[in-house]
Amino acid sequence: MEKPVPVEINHVRAEGKIRITWDDGHVGVYPQEYLRGYCPCALCQGHDAALGKKFISVPDAKLREIRTVGNYAVEFLWHDGHSTGIYNYEYLRYLCPCSQCKQVGNES
Amino acid sequence: MAAATTEAVMEALRGVQDPEIHRDIVSLGMVKNLAVEDGKVSFTVELTTPACPLKDKIEGDCKSALAGVEGVKDLEISFGAQVRGSKVGAGQTDLLPTVKNLVLVASGKGGVGKSTVAANLAVALKMHGATTGLLDADIYGPSIPILMGVREEPRKVAVNGGYKLGPPIAHGLPVMSIGFFLEPEQAVIWRGPMLGKALNQLMGDVHWGELDYLIVDMPPGTGDIQITFSQQLKVSGAVLVATPQQVALADVIRAKSMFDKVMIPIVGLIENMSYFICDGCGKSHEIFSRGGAVRAAERFKIPFLGEIPIVSSIREWGDKGVPILVREPESEVSKIFLEIAAKLAGQLSVAAETAKSGQSLKIVSS
Ligand SMILES: Nc1ncnc2c1ncn2[C@@H]1O[C@H](COP(=O)(O)OP(=O)(O)OP(=O)(O)O)[C@@H](O)[C@H]1O
Ligand SMILES: [Mg+2]
Ligand SMILES: [Zn+2]
Ligand SMILES: [Zn+2]
Repeated sequence: MEKPVPVEINHVRAEGKIRITWDDGHVGVYPQEYLRGYCPCALCQGHDAALGKKFISVPDAKLREIRTVGNYAVEFLWHDGHSTGIYNYEYLRYLCPCSQCKQVGNES
Repeated sequence: MAAATTEAVMEALRGVQDPEIHRDIVSLGMVKNLAVEDGKVSFTVELTTPACPLKDKIEGDCKSALAGVEGVKDLEISFGAQVRGSKVGAGQTDLLPTVKNLVLVASGKGGVGKSTVAANLAVALKMHGATTGLLDADIYGPSIPILMGVREEPRKVAVNGGYKLGPPIAHGLPVMSIGFFLEPEQAVIWRGPMLGKALNQLMGDVHWGELDYLIVDMPPGTGDIQITFSQQLKVSGAVLVATPQQVALADVIRAKSMFDKVMIPIVGLIENMSYFICDGCGKSHEIFSRGGAVRAAERFKIPFLGEIPIVSSIREWGDKGVPILVREPESEVSKIFLEIAAKLAGQLSVAAETAKSGQSLKIVSS
């Protein structure tokens, strides 16, 4: 399979972080406010924004639950009840905030 | 001469590969009931599908591998089959846990013969000895009940203290159609967000029993229902049907990109109405664009499963509710369907290995 897929998503509650381990060996740690801020749903991103460009600040965002969607995406359920964002694997990987990924990402 | 030992025989069999999965038959757990006594060796090769296209090859390879083992005087190889599950889908709840392989028959465009192919593939897999069911998911134009000559409605069966719907049996296959549940005024629920719920309920309500394969006739195109299927069901893979005229690659590309998005593997491409077997002379006549699907398959690295000719009796008997495989099992086109089904089963065995080795997603909290 060419595209990386996650093999483990660990919700590290004490730190408010989500650690994703990918099948190509990559590991990324996502702060929950960061994931919430880039929620891909139409409510958050608007209909014409390019996906992943708009950051909505929800400072006290708290993740409640993670669920799989089909075999290509996950959805996050937030404490305030928001749950309409479906993050496909490609998008999740694109969001990876690690220094290695951000370097590449910022170029474009 | 030293007597043959179990170890030596096992070691030699490690040199025999499953020709499709490309791993040795010992580590795949396909060698069963091995007995070695006074130079007499016997064992069963448990194939991954009764429709195995390569049984003879495996048998030949076992024989030549054991020819080199000292002290083997007599050899008896028997064959069995245990169909393995190949459904993928990380962490999803499986709505059809008793179905080992779920195959979607799809196309980028309507009218290419999906339903005809789906019905005959299901019959072919059954003829090969596999327990097979057929599901018509074409919400726009359910046609499986006609093609299979189904006249009854699903009946209520008691299961685990509750009631479920037992599919009517046609030509020996359990057959279910979304058409059984479509009331005109309900049509609206088969789109948008209600679609997921409705499908979910339908899936949960049907009592299929244990199936090796469930073949699903999909509605044409690459819309909502295909996406919804992948979200709600664990699917083994999709088979794409194309005709030479419209292997305006675009259709294959659209279908492929949709299945890629939802990570459903494409396990094969079939070219239907590929050439023409003349009623008069029995010879086959070329259609100018024959072979487009082979090229598309090569280009996208999709296994090519075969070409089905245009045969007027396919349509005639289809209209009367009798699949051509049932009506004329010895005909040329029936042999082609049986071959395609065997190739498909082979690809699904490969997919089963990948599904198992591919780690599934774990969601944890710490
Ligand atoms: N190989 C064939 N030879 C002759 N007729 C065929 C062949 N394949 C399909 N047909 C006929 O072509 C017509 C369309 O086939 P079918 O209904 O299976 O297509 P479909 O892709 O399921 O269509 P739809 O998109 O409407 O669901 C039918 O009348 C069928 O009998
Ligand atoms: Mg059809
Ligand atoms: Zn959102
Ligand atoms: Zn990264």
